[in-house]
Amino acid sequence: MSQKSFTVAMIDALAHSLKNDPNVVVIGAHSFLSDRGLKPEDERALWDAFPDRLIDPPTSEGVCTSLATGAAMAGMRPFLNYGTATFAYEAFNQIMSETANVHAMSGGQLRAPLTLHMFAGIRGGGAGQHSSSPQAMYANSAGLELVLPASPADAQGLLRSAIKSDNPTVVITHTKLLAMTGDVPDGDFTIPFGQARIAREGRDVTIVATSLMVREALKAAEALAKDGVEAEVVDPRTIVPLDAETICASVRKTGRLVTVDEGNALCSISSEISALVAERAFDALKAPILRVARPPVPIAFSPPLEAHVTPNADKVVAAVKKLTQA
Amino acid sequence: MALSPREVLARMLLMRRFEEMVITLARAHKLGRQHLAIGNEALGAAALMQLRAGDLIYTTHRNHGHMIARGVDPGKALAEILGRAGGLNGGKGGTWHMTDPSLGFQSTSAMVGGSIGLSVGGAFALKHKKTDNVAVALFGDGALDEGIAYEALNIASLYALPVLFLCENNSKEGEAQTSRLATKELTAVPKALKIACASVDGGDPEAAGKAVATALAHVRDGNGPYFLEAQLVRWPGSHQTVHAFTTGVTDVTAAWDSAKASNVHAEWQRTDPILRTARTLIARGTVTREDVVALDNAAAVTMAKARGFAEASPYPKPEAALAGVFV
Ligand SMILES: Cc1ncc(C[n+]2csc(CCOP(=O)(O)OP(=O)(O)O)c2C)c(N)n1
Ligand SMILES: [Mg+2]
Repeated sequence: MSQKSFTVAMIDALAHSLKNDPNVVVIGAHSFLSDRGLKPEDERALWDAFPDRLIDPPTSEGVCTSLATGAAMAGMRPFLNYGTATFAYEAFNQIMSETANVHAMSGGQLRAPLTLHMFAGIRGGGAGQHSSSPQAMYANSAGLELVLPASPADAQGLLRSAIKSDNPTVVITHTKLLAMTGDVPDGDFTIPFGQARIAREGRDVTIVATSLMVREALKAAEALAKDGVEAEVVDPRTIVPLDAETICASVRKTGRLVTVDEGNALCSISSEISALVAERAFDALKAPILRVARPPVPIAFSPPLEAHVTPNADKVVAAVKKLTQA
Repeated sequence: MALSPREVLARMLLMRRFEEMVITLARAHKLGRQHLAIGNEALGAAALMQLRAGDLIYTTHRNHGHMIARGVDPGKALAEILGRAGGLNGGKGGTWHMTDPSLGFQSTSAMVGGSIGLSVGGAFALKHKKTDNVAVALFGDGALDEGIAYEALNIASLYALPVLFLCENNSKEGEAQTSRLATKELTAVPKALKIACASVDGGDPEAAGKAVATALAHVRDGNGPYFLEAQLVRWPGSHQTVHAFTTGVTDVTAAWDSAKASNVHAEWQRTDPILRTARTLIARGTVTREDVVALDNAAAVTMAKARGFAEASPYPKPEAALAGVFV
């Protein structure tokens, strides 16, 4: 184990991938590697080691997605980094109609092993165009795996799995997690998709949270524990595939569910998990399911406006109290 | 309608002092990131000061200069950058999305290529309504990297839309490269699509003013779109995430006083559009040194008032975050 920041953990996963597979290329390398907490000499060593495989393309998200997908179909294993998640909207057609359809539409004859990475979330002053949490849209694509890492160790292991996966995989990193540090296993390792992590055990309520919201859920759990409420925090880690068993087993134990998601509540990850539990574990519920998510508004620039709509630990505590005090 | 060189210089000075105030306020209020228009003043003033009521303007992340050049209230603009209720957008837009429809601003998009796309829609409407107004798309060289640029240029040419594509090219090879095009000649792209085009020194307000006048006349007369590339100098501070006064607060007397010459930023002082324009106008006898100092002082007074307004403006009520999504 060693202490690492989230970004350095992701870069290490990338470095292992580049070393182990000559078909891995990084498109959009600069905004993934530079000013991300690497020592300058380590960053330079990476650029020197892979001069032809770390690429800084034009501001052309559409064709970069086509290029990465086409190259993946022709035998490469590209990692495409868009920078801010909204920039990938420039490539929505390519992602949704081309990339996501490659395998199924060819009757299983073709595959597109590539990773699409983006920095997302309400980040402070991002206003309407730099604050998106688009996870539900990608979950809705049918044909894309979706990964939402919430800790440095998960970031490294899940990213390594994403690059090894033979399916197209979207990895969304919350900008507010970038500086987070944590223990990461040494060496090259993977974390399998579809395995939720119990981030905290508890008996009174299940909080299913993703990405940055895992941290907020854990803060909320600490606060609730002071009032004698023991919350179990479940982090699905991947949404496609989703570990329904772990989520339902937790709700069967606690009898209550709060879902926490930074995306817009409408047709969201939190909605999906709520529906899943309603379908499979309704009999175990002692109270209604509550969602803590962003309301359906474009994020405003002004700090108090942004704060008002950002899901956080306080809002999670309030939701849990509604259930436990009912 | 030729612009008065003195008025253009006055506007340029206001643009510069505005951006310097943004740096000051960004520090004082711990703001995030802004994209400043220092170095873009000559083209900005020369272009935006020639627009008429009813013309439609589409701009980018680097919009502050365009706002001030067009005559937007600097107090309301600063208040917007501070996220205050008295800001142009009531605090909802911030530095990247300031807008003022009363002066023709239709959109400020921080998505590279956003302005160029929407501008053809504005031009389409203007043509449909048979006005002699024009749409003006302001965008950086980076916008030409995006596929939307090709599509917008093509459809504007195909439908002979009344739109001026005004490209602010600040790319310098290497560190400061903001576009990656297979041609060094930006106008080659519109030219291939049969759009009239020209390139101009964007640091010279007179040359830029004339080039814009020619372009606007072409578009207003119903000849279809026009593409003007303005070659800009690049302010040494412009690639920094949090702007320092890299080159120092502008001292207009450096235009003539060799004691104010900087060793580190000699190239900037030579090419800075403010100092360059002051030198030219003084040499020609259009203004005196004293005039330049007086114009600069007036800009400083305007900005001090603007700051006062912005800082006194309250934050919006938190619940305002939920309002105004739909008409
Ligand atoms: C669609 C999209 N992709 C990427 C970005 C990130 N980005 C912000 S500014 C910028 C450079 C833009 O260059 P240019 O258009 O020449 O404008 P300049 O900043 O040089 O004035 C980029 C790539 C963005 N804002 N939007
Ligand atoms: Mg540029």
